[in-house]
Amino acid sequence: MRARTLIGGVLAAALAVVPAALVAQRGQAAPPPPAEPLSALAPENISKPRPKAPFDLTGNWFIDTSTGADAWKFGPPYPKLTAKAQKEFDTGMKYMKEGKIYKDDIGQCWPAGLPLIMTRYWPTAMIQLPTAIYMVSEFMNSFRTVFLDGRQHTDVDVVVRTYNGESIGRWEGDTLVVDTRHFRGDHHWMDQGGASIPAGEQLRIVERIRLLPGGKQLEIAYTMTDPEHWEGEWKSTKRFNRVNDIDVHEVVCLPDLNEHLKSTRSKTQVQ
Amino acid sequence: MRRFLLAAVLISGIVAPAFAHHSPAAFEAQKTVTLVGTIKEFRWQNPHTWIEVMVPNEKGQEVLWAVELTSPTYLIRAGWKSNTLKPGDKVTVVGRPLKSGEPGSAIFTSVTLADGRTLLERPARLGGGGEAK
Repeated sequence: MRARTLIGGVLAAALAVVPAALVAQRGQAAPPPPAEPLSALAPENISKPRPKAPFDLTGNWFIDTSTGADAWKFGPPYPKLTAKAQKEFDTGMKYMKEGKIYKDDIGQCWPAGLPLIMTRYWPTAMIQLPTAIYMVSEFMNSFRTVFLDGRQHTDVDVVVRTYNGESIGRWEGDTLVVDTRHFRGDHHWMDQGGASIPAGEQLRIVERIRLLPGGKQLEIAYTMTDPEHWEGEWKSTKRFNRVNDIDVHEVVCLPDLNEHLKSTRSKTQVQ
Repeated sequence: MRRFLLAAVLISGIVAPAFAHHSPAAFEAQKTVTLVGTIKEFRWQNPHTWIEVMVPNEKGQEVLWAVELTSPTYLIRAGWKSNTLKPGDKVTVVGRPLKSGEPGSAIFTSVTLADGRTLLERPARLGGGGEAK
């Protein structure tokens, strides 16, 4: 009995040592993984004490078209383009003069992405929480989150690039400042209509958002940089009207859509 | 009276944005084509509604025209319903043709129904072209 107890004790001690020995062979023990950050929808995050937001964007918004049919466009005027972007722009202009359209990726069901997704002639639903603003454009139900919970932009080596990018917002007085980075740089354009300027992975958009007195109009002042495609800052200011009689519904670019829209398959299209 | 395609391409002042998922730059900005024909299909769906209308050409041959409209979100607010157009309906559709001159494709401007009503795409506050012409 005593011998059995002794053998058992030796075996237990040996088993306890094995993992430690394995770790020792690999070097130092790995640090524990960082704690998972709280989701913007986690009750513990939403209920954290924060200053009261100066305004609430919850509602449906539509680009103000009172300035004309081109209200959705961010130019002209355009900033000074780099040689790479100028070549694309000039090619688009050349084809437009011939009655053709150059690289109409949105027409082929690629996402519009920021900034265009906000200004096209479709409503955008916004729901504001203390930790985030969720936006859904009716145009292809494009989804965007503006995080307000104090997080930083995701590490560039980890982030999954998207057409709407990653938006982090903070309050500055009565203004919401939203910094958006980490865009997809392919099939992404600053305009649509025949002559356009590419949007690249270096695109950064800072929006200064104000709710105008009365709460019926939203103003967004855009400052956009993309050193791959233009020099300096490209600025533009847009207004959006609150629309209380429109909801956002399912809108999807279905595979058979363009089969019935002959123009998307006509000789006018140059890819 | 024999129906026929009013092949006339007219100049008008209509420059509605009529924004689609694709660029509107493929279409004439101000020239319009008037199509007198018979509805083959009217598809009520997002993001586009479309009308397929059979239009006789000068030789009496039926030509299929696909006319693109905006989404029901706006059409409803301009007085449309899903059954506004049915196969067999006689209509007059006005649209802007392709700049390339290819026949059979246009972007919608207006439709006049057999009962004389004329419908547009969307009200002015949502980017529409204003009152019916």
